[in-house]
Amino acid sequence: MNFHINDHQLCLLIDGRQYNEKVLYKCFYWYSNNYSVDIDIETGPFYKITLQATKESDSLSWNHLIEKIKKDLIDFKLRDIISQETQTIRELIVAKAFAYYEIQETPQTNISDPVGFNPENVLEC
Amino acid sequence: MLTDSLPNENATRKFKEFEYFGSKSDFSYYLLPFRFHNINEQREILVNEIGDFLIVPTGTAELIIERKINPIAYPELYGDLIANFFISEQPIPSLIDVLATRYRTKKSFLDYFTSLHIFVISLRCEHTCHYCQVSRVTSDKSRYDMSKEHIDAGIEMMMQSPNPHVTMEFQGGEALLAFDNIIYAVEKAKEAAIMRKKTVSYVICTNLAPLTEEMLIYFKENNILISTSLDGPDFIHNKNRHKPHSNSYQYAVNGIIKCREELGAENVSALLTTTNLSLQYPEEIVDEYVRLGFKNMFLRPISPYGFATRNEGKNKYVTQEFLEFYKKALKKIIQYNLDGHFIREDYASIILKKMLTPFPVGYVDLQSPAGLINSVIVFNYDGEIYATDESRMLAEMKDFTFKLGTLGINTYEEVFYGKKSLELSEAFLNESLPGCSDCAFQSYCGADPVFNYTTQGDIYGHRPTSSFCQRNMEIMRHLIELMDSDKKIEKIFRTWITGKN
Amino acid sequence: MQLKTKGKPHNIFYPVVGRVTKDHTANAEILLIEGEIPTDAITRFSLVLTTLDIDKAIDKPSVYAIPGFEHLSEGDIVLVNTSGMINTLYRVNSNHNFLLFTERCNSNCLMCSQPPKNRDDTSYFFDTYKQLIPLIPKNCFELGITGGEPTLLGERFFQLLELLASNLPETEIHCLTNGRTFAWPHITNRLGELSYNRLMLGIPIYSDYYQLHDYVVQAKGAFDQTIQGLYNLAKNNIRVELRIVLHKQTIPRLAQLAKFIYKNLPFAEHITFMGLEYQGYTPHNIDKLWIDPVDYSDILSEAINYLSDYGMNVSIYNSQLCTTPKNIWQFARKSISDWKNIYLDECNKCAVLNECGGLFQSNAAKHSAYIKAIMQE
Ligand code: SF4
Ligand code: SF4
Repeated sequence: MNFHINDHQLCLLIDGRQYNEKVLYKCFYWYSNNYSVDIDIETGPFYKITLQATKESDSLSWNHLIEKIKKDLIDFKLRDIISQETQTIRELIVAKAFAYYEIQETPQTNISDPVGFNPENVLEC
Repeated sequence: MLTDSLPNENATRKFKEFEYFGSKSDFSYYLLPFRFHNINEQREILVNEIGDFLIVPTGTAELIIERKINPIAYPELYGDLIANFFISEQPIPSLIDVLATRYRTKKSFLDYFTSLHIFVISLRCEHTCHYCQVSRVTSDKSRYDMSKEHIDAGIEMMMQSPNPHVTMEFQGGEALLAFDNIIYAVEKAKEAAIMRKKTVSYVICTNLAPLTEEMLIYFKENNILISTSLDGPDFIHNKNRHKPHSNSYQYAVNGIIKCREELGAENVSALLTTTNLSLQYPEEIVDEYVRLGFKNMFLRPISPYGFATRNEGKNKYVTQEFLEFYKKALKKIIQYNLDGHFIREDYASIILKKMLTPFPVGYVDLQSPAGLINSVIVFNYDGEIYATDESRMLAEMKDFTFKLGTLGINTYEEVFYGKKSLELSEAFLNESLPGCSDCAFQSYCGADPVFNYTTQGDIYGHRPTSSFCQRNMEIMRHLIELMDSDKKIEKIFRTWITGKN
Repeated sequence: MQLKTKGKPHNIFYPVVGRVTKDHTANAEILLIEGEIPTDAITRFSLVLTTLDIDKAIDKPSVYAIPGFEHLSEGDIVLVNTSGMINTLYRVNSNHNFLLFTERCNSNCLMCSQPPKNRDDTSYFFDTYKQLIPLIPKNCFELGITGGEPTLLGERFFQLLELLASNLPETEIHCLTNGRTFAWPHITNRLGELSYNRLMLGIPIYSDYYQLHDYVVQAKGAFDQTIQGLYNLAKNNIRVELRIVLHKQTIPRLAQLAKFIYKNLPFAEHITFMGLEYQGYTPHNIDKLWIDPVDYSDILSEAINYLSDYGMNVSIYNSQLCTTPKNIWQFARKSISDWKNIYLDECNKCAVLNECGGLFQSNAAKHSAYIKAIMQE
């Protein structure tokens, strides 16, 4: 991550292969309280992020801010991984939770009775 | 059939070692949906899809996501993660139905559509509180009291609620100035409830100044609950609640004592309104509640609506200050509990209930989908129907965004399933709001479109600058930190949830 | 407690179940004879048991030369086998009657007190109980069903339950099962259709973590089956009790288990924490199981207080007061069946002897090192 600071402005150059656009938007959303945030596509896979302090005082501690941004980027990337990896399962949970009729699933595991009891052989009623 | 084809492990009855029963030997696992949030430098919280959480050392989420956890190096954590549905050894966890059932349970407050029906029985009041948004000092009954026709229509609509138990709450102005109206409404509701086989709880919100013996008798006969206002010791209360030529605090305290004697302490509660002045006296306010023998108090932030926003100098305080106040007051309350005196803070209790129990919790400001219409509806003195108490205050400022209809004109279906209702309720799943969608506290928090609209001009709101978000996020973080730091506090919190001491 | 006796069989070709009496005018199936044989009266009875050493005189299925009937009361129900073995099936003066449905089991718990047998005994027990159930007094307050794993009777499990429901509508039925069979929805639905609300299932859960539970019950997939079973049962409004045996394997995650129960199984009507019985497999596996109750008292009281704070109904079984922290004494029950219950010599000096549940007889050989009479305060 490259950055430069001028007057009231922090510019970051971020590699989109490292942090995708969604991650960038989610992360910098939370900076829009004290900064005016711009996310622009640069050449190649790079994004240029510009943070403009809306209050004088907030431009004073850029270095501290950069540290925080680094941490947040990692966190939002982690969140993105979870959400990608778990999207199907989340949809499945919600679908099952609010299904109009219940699909009752039969276990795929063994009842393990050595004498041979098989629940499937017991009649429904 | 599967059951028959598998080898039978019990044929020999030889005992096997623990390792034999693991389902994975390569230590691979799948993630299940969860979110995380920093609690402090050392600790972070992981919250799963059904609101169960683990408090773990910072960096644990990263280890989990990067597949650095295994049962050998982290036996306890690994077990915790599997048992609490954070990771799974199968792509679809074998207990997914448990997850789905619990998810449905958590959201099942939706099944009990609208239970709280607020009747603004009169707008008249004898107080001139500086933060009050709506009331009028007047004796013009015909103009500012709810008409009998509107009361009838409101009761009719309440009786159409699918919920077998409804609450009828009378608000003002000062509700007791229209006591005749209350009697009329309660008697009507009683009749209707018998016919429609519903149970109705009655609540009157009052400053207790107009209280008479006759009223007390009526409250008792009809099991009416009293909700009054108490802002703290007299110097705060009287400053907040201006009543020309008299002592509002004394009225409130005397009223509370009388109501308790007649109705029993458990049927009398008090609400605290926080103002700039109160912010400086968290401990004193708690002491006052304890002194008066209250078993609970509700540390509410002042609402941003109506007259309050006009009276900026006096009322507009930053969330930060409220949070400081809240934490100090909470600390004091916890201290009382540690010393063996039970008193509960209601806002924390609502959040804690969501965090610590598997049950759904209905509270208007902290629900997703928003409490809007789903659990509360307001019938204003003039017959207009609003989505929340706040939205009718907004209407006093000529903003009718959250008006849903008019009593006597619109039908139940039009009000509850009309275009506006649907628009509002659909848009307010916090699961999908920017910022909230990734927030670990999502399942404990809520969406408050009216608040967003009032403070930020649009119903979706902007989390980074929203005081609703700041307040909730910090209170939730703080509660978690408290529990994590001291098991005794967690135990106190349990008693707050169950009311069991 | 004596539960069986033996004599010499005569003319018995199939097992007979019946109520015993010494009064030849009473309503019963089996006559007990110690002295004279009332020749006329015996015709009403299907079988005669006698201490007399004769056979010829009785022209009836009978068992003679029995050592004595001291252990039998009027109305007790016995099973008389063709071998002359007489088992007491039901004791009218006890609150701890139970029906052992089978000795088969699909689990093999490390601490099983009645190790399972791999032989099909289900029709034997079924035939026995079909005869027994109609004879049980209607005022029987509570009846246990145990095993083995009773659900392995399959079809017959339901038939016996129906028989119980119709014959003993006022009796509380408490059935111990590992719950795994109920993971199959059609089976649970069928139980649900009985709407048998006197029935409560006691189902063990040993950990919140599947691998540990499966290890304790020595069956892969058992945890998932039991949890699914519990959910199916809850859906069918079938009452359940959760049972946790306290030992070295279950103690480390006990607090987590309590949390798991409240979060995932809040519908459980009762949760019991049970001390280890020194019986069956336990002596064999004692190294894997033994932990002195005094050493788990903190964890136990944390788990119990947690659940009870949230309004769950909790009990401790098989514990001695002197090894239990005082703050959870209120949950300790005198749970050990009369015929298995003992006290130590030390107990005679104890001030809380009457409140204390004492020990299993089997635990005479292995119990807490800290059993010590509590002196009057
Ligand atoms: S409002 Fe804030 S605290 Fe609440 S869920 Fe949304 S982001 Fe989280
Ligand atoms: S000494 Fe005996 S009776 Fe007394 S508490 Fe201990 S086990 Fe119970």
